[in-house]
Amino acid sequence: MKTMTLNRSSTKAMNYKVKKVLGAVAIYCVLIIVCAIFLFPCLWLILSSFSATGSLYDTPGFFPESYSFDAFIKLFTDTANHNYPQWLANTLVIAIFNCIFSTLLIIGTAYVISYFQFKARKGLMKSALVLSMFPSFMGMTVIYILMTQFNIVNNIWGLVLIYSCTAPLGYLVQKGFFDTIPQSIYEAAKIDGATNARIFTTITLPLAKPIIVYTALTSFTWPWSDFILPKLLLIEKDNWTVAVGLMQLGQDEFARFAAGSVFIAVPIVVLYFFLVKYMVNGMTSGAVKG
Amino acid sequence: MKRAFRRLGIKISDSWTNFINFFKVANTNTKASMSLMGLGQFMYRQVGRGIMYLGVEILGILFFAIYGFQWIVGLFTLGTVQGDPWTGKQGDNSVIFMLLGLMSVFLLILFIALYISNVRDANNTSKLVLKGEKPKKFKDDLKDLLDKKFYKTVLFLPLLGTIIFSVIPIVFMILVAFTNYGEPYIPPVLVDWVGLENFVQIFSLGEIGPTFFKILGWNILWAVATTLLNYVLGLLLAILLNKKIVKGKFFWRLFPILAYAIPGFITLTAFKFMFAQGGPINNMITSNGGSPIPFLTEDGTWWARFIGLMINAWLTIPSVMLLATGILSNINSDLYEAAKIDGAGSARQFKDITLPFVIFATTPTLITSFIGNFNNFGVFYFLRSTVTTEGYFVSNDTDLLINWLYRLSIDNQFYSIGAAISLIIFIITSSISLIIYIKSPAYKKEDTFR
Repeated sequence: MKTMTLNRSSTKAMNYKVKKVLGAVAIYCVLIIVCAIFLFPCLWLILSSFSATGSLYDTPGFFPESYSFDAFIKLFTDTANHNYPQWLANTLVIAIFNCIFSTLLIIGTAYVISYFQFKARKGLMKSALVLSMFPSFMGMTVIYILMTQFNIVNNIWGLVLIYSCTAPLGYLVQKGFFDTIPQSIYEAAKIDGATNARIFTTITLPLAKPIIVYTALTSFTWPWSDFILPKLLLIEKDNWTVAVGLMQLGQDEFARFAAGSVFIAVPIVVLYFFLVKYMVNGMTSGAVKG
Repeated sequence: MKRAFRRLGIKISDSWTNFINFFKVANTNTKASMSLMGLGQFMYRQVGRGIMYLGVEILGILFFAIYGFQWIVGLFTLGTVQGDPWTGKQGDNSVIFMLLGLMSVFLLILFIALYISNVRDANNTSKLVLKGEKPKKFKDDLKDLLDKKFYKTVLFLPLLGTIIFSVIPIVFMILVAFTNYGEPYIPPVLVDWVGLENFVQIFSLGEIGPTFFKILGWNILWAVATTLLNYVLGLLLAILLNKKIVKGKFFWRLFPILAYAIPGFITLTAFKFMFAQGGPINNMITSNGGSPIPFLTEDGTWWARFIGLMINAWLTIPSVMLLATGILSNINSDLYEAAKIDGAGSARQFKDITLPFVIFATTPTLITSFIGNFNNFGVFYFLRSTVTTEGYFVSNDTDLLINWLYRLSIDNQFYSIGAAISLIIFIITSSISLIIYIKSPAYKKEDTFR
């Protein structure tokens, strides 16, 4: 009698173990497949950038048959038609200044909306919500119309201006972060007689470091990936950003496209890997608070 | 509805009596400010404020006398003199008339607001004086800008930027929707107000109407399908990676983050090349003796739609996963302990704790991602922007409304139709998000998980 129950329970345990192992195997299989799906296009792009022939048509399958650094060398030396170094410099300038101005404006807006209770606050928030519901093309079409009428905006500083001025409308994520800073911290400083400007610079800003990093990172990387506005705004080749320039490359220059892409994607990806913690914090603070 | 109107009526009559009362009660200095901006402030020896208000009045009157009034009239007429390039006759440019008129209207509103603030300010000072306090000095005003009124200092630039680069363009495009601006009515040809004609054209049987409804149908299908697919798969991936049994979580998460970090235009262009007629996939098919599949060409309607769905999943699942991972780590672990003690299995725990919490926390982002997908310009712009389908007015069968908008306005200069479609998109997205928002648990019971 006793041995029977023992046996039964041990087979049960065995069953449980087998089930668990099988489950683990299944999970790992799924994970490997998922990761392969995410990795494959990137790998294809990276290997293509080292392709010796350079065109998309020459390879029978996905990967090139012979490898070389030609595409990268051509990218930086053969600048007559496609001035990649110039595009790179333009985008870098736009990214740096957009990062500074946008971060200042967004952080300021989010802090004020979260901290101050003034009359127009609710109205401003509602208007921002309504404005964000309009398709962004409406503003861009106006810019395009103005360009065709006046011929004035063909300039990278115009792009910086428009990026920075439209940035504060996306203040919600940052406001969500400021909402989590307890009011009691401010009250202590107020009793000590500090002005609001002083409280902001000495207490709020140091506390808001994660969200500042998040904001700066997103506004720095945005000009590297935006293609709609620069394509409308920048007409001369020497004013193009990397995105606009790379989009003009055809299938016969696939290796050059891949090389140019890899060259800007690698730093951005590395940046994201280091800062992914901040990204997640920023995203969730926006999500829970709305 | 009736009640709302009645309430509005009461509000208006209330504010009118308030206004009359205010005029009766106001003292000389306030009345002085009413007649000349800044005068009341001067009488209280607030020289700084007085000069600023007076300056505003002088500049404002000069501006409206010389330009502003004329420009506002121009907004109504949109120009009367037709230019003629043959004779070199300089005509009126309707678009510039519209823009300047709109700017003048905004400046007029600003001027009126400053006038009201000037009267209110004089009145407040008179109240202070009645209480026996001294009128505020200009130095105090400046100090306030760093303390009590610090929000004004900080908000000034963002507000200015938003008005110039978001509000004015949007109002401008709303106005354009009621004109005939666009081929062939483009300056130097005069543009005119046409009322609702553009909307009639969109909803009637012509070239544009049928295209609109075909694109709208596909657009809704696309937005629902892609939002749900990405949401479910992203959530599953996050839950999978959150399991205790998975070792090396950081390593596994690197791959989706890789996809997330690469700029979208790169991946989209790469995918376009991948599925191109001479691309690697078709190359492999032809070299094995098959005939190439028309993935993205004119005939590839459902292929292109399916590929677009998959590519968008590739692009957005990582961000859903990151978001859900962050939310999962926020769940109070006491809940699981309690559930374990009560004898709930892992399936039960998932159903009753994890899922409700995640859905609760992500509803707001679900709305934004739905709207983002409804207006997802990038995917089909990259995949098929050169393809036009028969039966579609300057468009193809995978275009979303936003892609059509781009083709109409930018590629073909049908500005007024494009503006009308923008307004329709606005009405659709805002009403959908309003409905979802009101029905969402996050809105109904805010404190459920606190």
